[in-house]
Amino acid sequence: MTITEASSGKIFPIEIFPVEKADYKLLVKSHFFFDWKDEQNEEVYKLVIKGEQAILGLISLERIPTEWRVHIRLLTVSKENKGSQKKYDKIAANLITHAAKIAVAEFGEFACISLKPKTELAQHYIDKYGMNITGVTLSLEVPEILDLINQFDKKP
Amino acid sequence: MTHDFEFGVESRYKNKREREADAISLMQARLERMKNLPKEQIVRAKLLQLKLKMENYLIEQNNTEDNHFTNFLKMYIDTIYSHRSKFAEDMNITPVFLSQVINNHRDPKEEFLLKLMIHSEKVFKNVGDFQKKTWYQVYFQEKIADTMFNQEKWRPGIEKQVKLSEPF
Repeated sequence: MTITEASSGKIFPIEIFPVEKADYKLLVKSHFFFDWKDEQNEEVYKLVIKGEQAILGLISLERIPTEWRVHIRLLTVSKENKGSQKKYDKIAANLITHAAKIAVAEFGEFACISLKPKTELAQHYIDKYGMNITGVTLSLEVPEILDLINQFDKKP
Repeated sequence: MTHDFEFGVESRYKNKREREADAISLMQARLERMKNLPKEQIVRAKLLQLKLKMENYLIEQNNTEDNHFTNFLKMYIDTIYSHRSKFAEDMNITPVFLSQVINNHRDPKEEFLLKLMIHSEKVFKNVGDFQKKTWYQVYFQEKIADTMFNQEKWRPGIEKQVKLSEPF
């Protein structure tokens, strides 16, 4: 999996690891937009450039085996990767792909990821990832979830 | 100024009621969509699941006595074929040989692993990015894990045969 430096188009390999207890000291709201300490008892992952320490994005997940579903609770990129001046592209897409990989590995053909973005953001996720909408919940299932993995889960 | 839609999503359920209502409507909609899911997409999903499980096994270095290689092999064959004998035919091996490998009564020969690599290349061509070395890695990682896990069984006999005659 890779991200792209917005200014140069240069591609960097990334890794996604579980967030460790010590990381939470660095996950301040001013840099990561939400209070990530609230997620300490959840399944939280960080995205870093391979071999580097700086956290570029975070995702908190809830596995719901009874519904063959992985729900995205919280997702963010770091402050310097927000907006038109962002340093790297594809951070959020890679984190969503990570959730999709967990869902497919666990639930196979029944796999589903879901999230509930604010109304004004929903159309973006529908357009970009081919998500389905049910009420206010967006979800991605087979076959679109497989397409997402194939699009982003490539060896650099 | 362009709005950045992807800087963050707050998607946590506020309470149990909201979550349950969401679960019911979402499941109904999904079951409806699943009815129309073509068989080839189901096979594609199962193969991608297998690939991800194999990759996870390689990352996690799971040192247990489980037969990962043959479990993955069974999943692979049963996803693609209605009869295992047909897979044996396609691989130019006897059904007896395949059965012995699958039931852990014999080790697969290197030729079998090479054929499996070629077979997987053909199968995964339209499924996803499958690394050629994956079956080999799974097989040998399991061999290493078995060796380490079963030291009590092999160590006493082997240790008697090994000495260090040079001063060290």
